[in-house]
Amino acid sequence: MYKLLLVMLTRLTEPDRRTRARGVFEGARGFVLALAAASVVDASAAWALEALTLTFPSRILVALAPLPGNLALIALVLRRVRALDEFQRRVHLDAVVIAFLATGVAAFIYGYLRKAAAVPPLNAVHVWIFMSVTYGIGYAIAARHYR
Amino acid sequence: MKNRLRVLRAERDWTQAHLASLVGVSRQAIVAVENGKYEPGLSLAFRLARAFGKTVEDVFVWEDSEPAGV
Repeated sequence: MYKLLLVMLTRLTEPDRRTRARGVFEGARGFVLALAAASVVDASAAWALEALTLTFPSRILVALAPLPGNLALIALVLRRVRALDEFQRRVHLDAVVIAFLATGVAAFIYGYLRKAAAVPPLNAVHVWIFMSVTYGIGYAIAARHYR
Repeated sequence: MKNRLRVLRAERDWTQAHLASLVGVSRQAIVAVENGKYEPGLSLAFRLARAFGKTVEDVFVWEDSEPAGV
């Protein structure tokens, strides 16, 4: 199973070649399709964990059900990034660095505020949302810088 | 490092989009190189020079304020 997943990931993350037959998940449309499929699995797993009474091993399996879809999304994003030209990669790198550092600073500040009992416990998904927002801001800053 | 990209492109009446398609990069990359905001890697520098039928030294001019290794 893991071997099959690894082979799939390797093939998905290979840089785009014009000579290679175009797959189902090629391009932006394919990414949206994969994102939609992964989101359906995510939502179904979340619903099942809330609404159904599952035994312990089943709960783990349902909780991990979104993992393959999300790994496939990572592979698709990597493939898209590898198909970018060197300048576009530079802009994305700047954006990633800004998002990484901003999230790091925010995590430290939040940690201190938690110790001071000034803020409530945080849902981990908020970290991802924060990182996405700072990535968007970072991209805008980088694109403006190189214009 | 300065470059003569804008001049060479104007001489041929090429748009930035046309040059970008010739060398296989985004138009934003050409804009950034022309404006001196981004220095291309060797591969792109050679492709740009070849697109104009020039050498890299004809297109890109290295400006060193102090002689290196002297």
